[in-house]
Amino acid sequence: MSASLDKVTQTLKEVIDAPIASYFDSCVHCGLCAEACLFYTETGDPKYTPIHKVEPLRRVYEQEYTLLGRLMKMVGLSKPITDEELGEWQELVYDSCTLCGRCSMVCPVGNDIVYMVRKFREGMAVSGHVPDGIRGATKRTVEIGGPMGLKWPAVANVLRKAEEATGVTIPVDKEGADYLVLLSSMEIVNYPEYIEALAKIFHKAGISFTLASDAFEATNAGIQIGASDLAKVIVTRIVDAAERLKVKYVLSPECGHAYMAIRWEGPNLIGRPFGFKVVHVLELLDQLRQEGVLKMKGMFKDPLILHDPCQIVRRGGVLQAPEALIRQVAENYIPIADQQKWNWCCGGGGGASAIHTEEAEALRAKAFGVKKRQIEEAGVGTMVTFCANCRITIEEALDHYEMNTKLLGLTELLAEHLED
Amino acid sequence: MQGPLIDTLARQGVTRRTFLKYCATLASMMALPPSAGRAMAEAMAAARRPSVIWLPFQECTGCTESITRSHSPTLEGMIFDMISLDYQVTIMAAAGHQAEEALRNAMLENDGKYLLVVDGSIPMGDPGYGTHGGHSFVDHLQQAAKGAAAIIAVGTCASYGGIPKANPNPTGAVSVSDIIKDKPIVNIPGCPPIPVVMTGVLAHYLTFGSLPELDAKGRPKAFFGETIHDRCYRRPFYDQGKFAKTFDDEGARRGWCLFELGCKGPVTYNACATVKWNGGTSWPVESGHGCLGCSEPDFWDAGGFYKALSVPADPLKLAAAAAVVGAGAGVAVSFANRAKKGAAKKAHQPITLADLEK
Repeated sequence: MSASLDKVTQTLKEVIDAPIASYFDSCVHCGLCAEACLFYTETGDPKYTPIHKVEPLRRVYEQEYTLLGRLMKMVGLSKPITDEELGEWQELVYDSCTLCGRCSMVCPVGNDIVYMVRKFREGMAVSGHVPDGIRGATKRTVEIGGPMGLKWPAVANVLRKAEEATGVTIPVDKEGADYLVLLSSMEIVNYPEYIEALAKIFHKAGISFTLASDAFEATNAGIQIGASDLAKVIVTRIVDAAERLKVKYVLSPECGHAYMAIRWEGPNLIGRPFGFKVVHVLELLDQLRQEGVLKMKGMFKDPLILHDPCQIVRRGGVLQAPEALIRQVAENYIPIADQQKWNWCCGGGGGASAIHTEEAEALRAKAFGVKKRQIEEAGVGTMVTFCANCRITIEEALDHYEMNTKLLGLTELLAEHLED
Repeated sequence: MQGPLIDTLARQGVTRRTFLKYCATLASMMALPPSAGRAMAEAMAAARRPSVIWLPFQECTGCTESITRSHSPTLEGMIFDMISLDYQVTIMAAAGHQAEEALRNAMLENDGKYLLVVDGSIPMGDPGYGTHGGHSFVDHLQQAAKGAAAIIAVGTCASYGGIPKANPNPTGAVSVSDIIKDKPIVNIPGCPPIPVVMTGVLAHYLTFGSLPELDAKGRPKAFFGETIHDRCYRRPFYDQGKFAKTFDDEGARRGWCLFELGCKGPVTYNACATVKWNGGTSWPVESGHGCLGCSEPDFWDAGGFYKALSVPADPLKLAAAAAVVGAGAGVAVSFANRAKKGAAKKAHQPITLADLEK
């Protein structure tokens, strides 16, 4: 056994906990999860069956923690995992799993397959079988501060432009503000209008907020690659900044994985409860809507559908807010069949959108087939979503299929129609 | 007593109507189509008495008693009278050389046509264990079998060796089919066998010129197709789990299932439960005793007449024991696994960026 394989087994032994053990033992091999996975439905290839994606993990569980497995390993009936095998599985664990969690929803015995993939990625990460794209993003986040290698001066520049465009001051490192606003690099680079929209809404609602110059990045590539130690380093920055600035709330940007990282994984990573509350921007907006602060002037007329980002809605629990908000601003909102917690992933979550190999991009384009059908069946020219990563993935796919669907961010759409 | 059977029967006061009814019953009992009853009646009525040679070997005469000595003359008994029983050492008038001669004549006159009925098993240990007129039983059987059209082994001894074969089998008893391999053999086991089975086989042979369909143990399927248990009138009690525990308890008085008192009904194929005994009066289970399984091979050595076939383990006790063992094993395994996981955790080295490289 090579040194790195030894480390993999050791890591997997460490991550196998009671839920994983009971998941493996209760799997009835029904295969329902396959039908829930867009990589399976769009390719028809059974290797994309979600539970199959954690097969090496299952073997380690069986060989290390079950009597029968130990006996089988002893007499050679159950082979130990190999480096080649892990190499093969890289595609299944990263390229073709967006951690979207649709499989966990359909599992009749309640296995959270996403949880298992997430844990398995811990072992994959130390095996070195990780996509270069995610490895690079993790490296940049740890070393520089964000997955795209953005440094604070660049961010400050974008903020200054937003101030100019909105006429609203954007405070930085302001102690005692209510909200610490986090951003994702994707928004800073590709969708700066989100920042403008947010500044406008905060100003309108009279809420105090701030950014932290040493913790502006909300995304956590450490979680996507499956290295909890690194993920902890990344999340600790935010926690430190929030507690230093004594904010009441930390506002997660639209980005789905950022929300999951700070809201759900965060406290587990640092091993204690936060001294502040984490709020997703849509939760805040919906609260403002209910309070009557979010008044609209004019409505968006074109027929549109909503794309629910998995990590915010299905995995995140922000279930009701998006629809309520879209109805606030859109006259012709068309609910689709598989919506809310049954939504289909854009195909780029869980770090997948950072993988730029030819095969991964081709697979992503194929997996987008399900979204394409949703758009076509609804017969709309506009889709609204609220995750920067979904947006970039969908935009790439729309380009690929040469569709002229307009893609909008929900927060900006709201800000555009905000009463002055 | 010459001439067709129907004339003989008429002389004995059996009407044609009674005979037809009997044939129809016999046909239905053998699961033959209704038309077979009529065919049977015609064939049997017109039949010339077939020559039958009856060889008794190691037997108790119970089989002969069963068939010939009913309490009142039955149709079976009478039909049995109607065959030309040319040799039956137990009941024939002749004895000694005359008897031997009758046997020889019958064999010569009806060579290749006579039916050979055998009751009793054949001792193979020493020829002296059983002889007729200076010849051993096995010689007799082989001689008589040569010219027989078919052999009917009556009773469990002839069919499977029976009680003489019971452990330790001092005479080396074997069944007819252990010795004769080149003749059609019908086994009619039972200790004793049911008379109507005997006449049913005879009727079939007379009507169709062939032997009835047999099961794997050489028994006519028509009578041995189902277990006693499956046709037992006490079966509903078995299904409800109501068992007599002793022969004089409340369950026994209420007529509950005798399974726990050793009834072998579930593994015994015979027609007692439907045909009954003594002209349909009763049968062992109805009289309150479990089936001994007498129509099955080696029934005497099947582990005790009063021992239940299998005693269901007390499910609650077993479950409790299993739960304790399981919980114990679970605790042990969980401690072992916890130690393993703990060790893995202890050995944890923080993952650095360098670790992500291959």
